[in-house]
Amino acid sequence: MLARNTQHKALQWLGRQLFNRNDPEAFFDPLLERINPMWVQEYTPARVEQVLFETRDTQTLVLKPARRWSGFSAGQHVNICVEVDGVRRKRTFSLSSSPLLWREQGLVTLTIKRLPGGLVTNWIHDHLQTGAVIGLGEAFGDFLIPEPARPVLFIVGGSGITPVLSQLETMAAQDYRAPVTLLYFVRTRDDVIAREKLRALEARYSALTLNIIATNESEEPRYLRDQDLDAIPGLKARQVYLCGPKGLMDLAQDLLYKRGFADSDIHSTFFSAPAANLGNETLGGQVQFESSRLEVGSEGDATLLEIAEAAGLSPRHGCRMGICHQCSCRKTTGTVINRLTGQASGPGEENVQLCISVPQGPVSLDL
Amino acid sequence: MKKMTEAQLAELETDLNAIRDEVLADLGERDARYIRRMVRLHRSLEAGGRIMMPFGFLPPVFVAATVTLGVAKILENMEIGHNVMHGQYDWMNDPSLHSQTYEWDTVCTGDSWRRTHNYEHHTYTNIIGKDRDYGYAVLRLTDDEPWKPWHALQFINYILLSVFFQWGVGLHELETEKLRSREISWREKLPFLQEFARKGGRQAFKDYVFFPLLTFPVAPIVLAGNVGANLIRNLWSSTVIFCGHFTQDAETFTEEECEGESKGHWYLRQLTGSSNFTGGRWLHILSGHLSYQVEHHVFPDLPAHRYPEISGKVQAVCRKHGIHYNTGSFAKQYSTVLKRILRHSLPEKLAARAGTA
Repeated sequence: MLARNTQHKALQWLGRQLFNRNDPEAFFDPLLERINPMWVQEYTPARVEQVLFETRDTQTLVLKPARRWSGFSAGQHVNICVEVDGVRRKRTFSLSSSPLLWREQGLVTLTIKRLPGGLVTNWIHDHLQTGAVIGLGEAFGDFLIPEPARPVLFIVGGSGITPVLSQLETMAAQDYRAPVTLLYFVRTRDDVIAREKLRALEARYSALTLNIIATNESEEPRYLRDQDLDAIPGLKARQVYLCGPKGLMDLAQDLLYKRGFADSDIHSTFFSAPAANLGNETLGGQVQFESSRLEVGSEGDATLLEIAEAAGLSPRHGCRMGICHQCSCRKTTGTVINRLTGQASGPGEENVQLCISVPQGPVSLDL
Repeated sequence: MKKMTEAQLAELETDLNAIRDEVLADLGERDARYIRRMVRLHRSLEAGGRIMMPFGFLPPVFVAATVTLGVAKILENMEIGHNVMHGQYDWMNDPSLHSQTYEWDTVCTGDSWRRTHNYEHHTYTNIIGKDRDYGYAVLRLTDDEPWKPWHALQFINYILLSVFFQWGVGLHELETEKLRSREISWREKLPFLQEFARKGGRQAFKDYVFFPLLTFPVAPIVLAGNVGANLIRNLWSSTVIFCGHFTQDAETFTEEECEGESKGHWYLRQLTGSSNFTGGRWLHILSGHLSYQVEHHVFPDLPAHRYPEISGKVQAVCRKHGIHYNTGSFAKQYSTVLKRILRHSLPEKLAARAGTA
């Protein structure tokens, strides 16, 4: 093992000398990609094996990642990378299949709903086809099934069902011996994602109680209420898992706190980033400099470079007029406005020029 | 320099920004496809050159291998490295084509290049005393710089600079002229020298040690071929770069002229301080589109393959504002560069007399 490690290190060193990059194995990617996109080394490629239509605005991608992918636990997410009109876009989605499918058949699934105005989700629905290859990151997240078995309550809304599908599949496969209840809120009956799969799970996994609630089918919206919780046997002993729109998660948290639930018994995960408010030109916001462990607020049209300098940082920079790109820096989250063009950035991870970027709301930087 | 009022400069800025915005709005798959095609071509040429080289005991193969590797280095340095490091493809969000992390196949480190070229040269273009690329502190190319006796032999310096161009560029940030005048100390330059040694060592190891040893029985042939390939790249890149700012009509500026200048004035300086040369599609590609130096200096972070497309619009803006658009054939532009080097190796008065004689 040690010998192999040393050998690997020596090869890495040699690769850096020969190819002038820290990931020398990716040097020939542009050629390999042409021959077989599954040979690409820079990221883990995953081929789209099948596209399944769940509802009118949701589809499931069945993916076959390259074997070097490290696998995942039920409830985790991955970043995927797709190229839309020449630009690489990264987005996070929950894995909706069970880890068993990966171990046995080398497949994973992502269940993706169209977001109104969403660049990537709409592109996936409109353009991504069977046979295409996308990039897949390693799985992450701690929205995990309790071990050893404890009673569980899932409160889920809309496409928040995706990580829970993976968890239920896993629980059923290992015959998880504790009561499991799913409260699944959907707009209308037509919006139920993975209906067949849920029915099948309910039929073969006796510990599971399934309750699908349509919120928008009657005159009055039918949201989560106290009675829903009253109806759950042994509620106090349950671990609660929340995944869905912010409104549902806030409401559920309130009701649970009132019943004396502690934070340690409530597990939640967000399933979509808040969209940038493009029409509203209010500038400024909290800027988080992650590597420097510093957070400062800004108002008005101060640029990220000015904000950083005012906070005592000295980021690398040059012309301060958007020419030289000395100050380009990785933005991990948040929206910025380009001072030169007035254009708003996307909310995700990308590079920005500090000297011409003005925050619009909270922004995090790798600086 | 042509005198323009602030109102005229503001109009010039608006006109040029409009060209820039139009390209920015149109960036997309076509540009990504173009640069990836260039990267694929580079990888193929580099692999091809290296594989052919050991068979260089056959003279035609030797020539083919050396030229192939030389062209690979030219393509990587000029059309890929230089342009990627300007941030022309940052919008693609591809870590392999990102300005802050790209490291190119030459002695100069990416970091040093980004400081001396992207920042100093592109911000202070042709300002004597601030743009250290103007003559590279080795050549006297304007009468604004006082003549010294050693300038008489500067044509030899020019030849040496061209032959060892990658080492000259690599050491540019050492600022030897400031070390000589004791403006800065060697101690301050220690971190730079360490970086220079690391990258220079890496380049020399690859071309002059590793690949020759890998093909031991024919090591001298591989070594000679690699030296040849580097020489081809050095001579070509030096020539292209000299044609960009040192032609007859390329203007220079003083620090006073440019103090607190507007963006419009910066644009004017880029337009009048740079020069193009004409040629076929592949001449432009192999020059990294620095044959469109004017367009490059006005819009350094637009993908370079767009320069030919916007050249007509830039010329129209120049005509509208009465600004000279400096272009000509490669031979014509280069001959004025050589004349400029020769002319300024003599003091102003002597050169004027020689000119009239």
